[in-house]
Amino acid sequence: MSSEEQKLLVSMIEQFAKTELENAAQKIEKEGISTDLRKRLAELGLLAATIPQSEGGSGIDRKSFSLILMTLAKYSASAAYFTYLQNTLVNELLFKSQNKKEEIAKIASGEATATLVHDLNLNFQHEIFVKGSDLYGSNNFVTLPDADIHLVLARSEGSSYLIHAKPASTGIRKPLGFRGLSFGNVNYKAEIGSDKIIFKDAENILQNHFFETGDQIAAIALGMSESAIEKAIEYSKERKAFESYLYEFQPISAALIDMKGRIEELKKALMLTESVQEKITLKLNSLETARLASRIALQIHGGYGYLEDLGVERYYRDSMHLTMLASNYVKEMKALSKDVIAPDAFKI
Amino acid sequence: MSFELPQEVEETRKRARDFALREFTKDLIDRYDETEEYPNEIRKKVFDSGFITIENPWNMLVAMEEFCRVDPGIGLSTLASVFGSEILLLYGTDEQKEKYLYPTLKGEKISAVAVTEPGAGSDVAGISSRLEKTDKGWILNGHKMFITNGTVADHYYLLARSAPPPSKEKRHHGLTLAIVERRWKGVNPVKLKGKLGMRATDTAEITFENVEVPNENIVGEEGKGFYIIMTFFNISRVYVAAQSVGTAQGILDLLLEYLSSKPSSFREMEYVQFALAEMSALIEAARNITYKAATKVFSFNPDPALTSMAKYYAAEIANQVANVAFKIVGMEASGTKLEKLYRDAKITEIWEGTSEIEKLVISRMILKRIQEAK
Repeated sequence: MSSEEQKLLVSMIEQFAKTELENAAQKIEKEGISTDLRKRLAELGLLAATIPQSEGGSGIDRKSFSLILMTLAKYSASAAYFTYLQNTLVNELLFKSQNKKEEIAKIASGEATATLVHDLNLNFQHEIFVKGSDLYGSNNFVTLPDADIHLVLARSEGSSYLIHAKPASTGIRKPLGFRGLSFGNVNYKAEIGSDKIIFKDAENILQNHFFETGDQIAAIALGMSESAIEKAIEYSKERKAFESYLYEFQPISAALIDMKGRIEELKKALMLTESVQEKITLKLNSLETARLASRIALQIHGGYGYLEDLGVERYYRDSMHLTMLASNYVKEMKALSKDVIAPDAFKI
Repeated sequence: MSFELPQEVEETRKRARDFALREFTKDLIDRYDETEEYPNEIRKKVFDSGFITIENPWNMLVAMEEFCRVDPGIGLSTLASVFGSEILLLYGTDEQKEKYLYPTLKGEKISAVAVTEPGAGSDVAGISSRLEKTDKGWILNGHKMFITNGTVADHYYLLARSAPPPSKEKRHHGLTLAIVERRWKGVNPVKLKGKLGMRATDTAEITFENVEVPNENIVGEEGKGFYIIMTFFNISRVYVAAQSVGTAQGILDLLLEYLSSKPSSFREMEYVQFALAEMSALIEAARNITYKAATKVFSFNPDPALTSMAKYYAAEIANQVANVAFKIVGMEASGTKLEKLYRDAKITEIWEGTSEIEKLVISRMILKRIQEAK
């Protein structure tokens, strides 16, 4: 995609987000992603954005998709993560299997929702296993446990599989962040045919996929950061203390400028990252920036920031929730230090 | 020099710890966090168990720490049901003490401090609520915001402007403190819901329309309310520091609990061990500075710079520790008490003087001392 085409695409998404997400962001957090919104994301081609057009997708390149996610996240982090989940964590994995056109089409059109049930962000493996033709076990930390299509990472002795499965039961609970998306636990107890196995050696494939798409998580984190800091700047121009506007106070201005600069640098890096190492590093830095930006934004808003009405405390919850969803410090440090230092680095 | 607390205080700490572990059950913590109701039943138990006493404030301080270690929302709500009592203890008349203070200390009434306004949080001198003198007493008009205990308190210790400031530099002059009863005509408290954390605490926005305040409800000298409130903040900020220390300790407890439930290989990783060491050192430092500030305050020799250092530093540590714990536990913190303490901790950097205000107090006091030393 040429830079002109990229600009045009992002501008179109920005227009959509401003008109359809900005005012609805709080409603999305309370009521979830509506069927209408899902259909709109589908109409815009975002739910299979990076899948080739010949396979029913939109054929958007990954850099442009990162910009789209960043734009969506500025207005609704839940909508951005939903888009990432449908496109990147489900459709891209289905596409790898080469024979799942039907499922891709359902998700792309918004007809069905999908989720990926895995444990690669956890410190310890979940307990979902395959024994013979039986799939059984559970995971307590699933985004969209009530989705129509479940792709499940399951292990057996010596191997791991990605399986298309239906849950035996699900439970929903209120998550720390991204409250526009359901969250909870799933249990599986089913007999599965070989046609339900999407691929083998799934653990390695999924881990690499997470690392390779770390820039997309960075994009969501940066969109959230930018939005939080913009809100804080706006508020600092409205709110007075000691008969001066907040922005006139040096520590407040300095914190805002520092964050703005950091976000802009990371946005530039987003467009330049190519290697897996760079993508992991960018993700870690962007998540840290999102947490810091949200803390500064909340602090500047004071007591008002602590109330959900202004939509500022949401960044504080969302930035930590995104970190939990998409990052595992030990795994990332091991992956980075293996290449940068030595294969057995970060061991003790 | 001894860093040991008296045996009586240590015994209270142990009782407070046992009480909180027994009474602040997971079901109750979750219920109050979900419904945002005021935990009145537990408040009564806290009174009956003798934790609310201002005879020896150290007992309240360690109770605050231990309660918040288990649950900051319930812990603070119950102990802060006598919020502002020190104001009457120091400045109240015998009649005011008889009518408002003693019933509060017996658990029969709940009190609140009403200072913050929609347009004036950190800037106390910038408040615009007005007390106007009449033949019979005073008429109060105004609007208060983020008032803890606002809808459950029987009376408020309220700061309002009773005279215009003599100059721009003396904006803190002309402010008067009054006791205002919640049930009086013209008082309209509205509960604020949807807080990030501390959801068991009652928080309200209150409007006052032509409220009649009798002369006998003015506390201290007319026009000197700012000084009374600042004296009170010197006391209350020490308790917020204790809240932060307790919250931070509670987070460390949860992290240790998590680590002990997992294979030893996880806690043997040095990045985890270093984090534990750093958290422990930071919490101990926060506790020590809090106790040092409390020692000054409780011996009627307050050091506002030290109090602000304690409040600022302990709040910073509570939030830092919450972030580090999350980094280690990751997604498994979701839906646990650790997640709740992360949300609860943030308020410590905001209420009873933001961290920014504390830093200003510290630096101004330090610079003043340098000038005085010359």
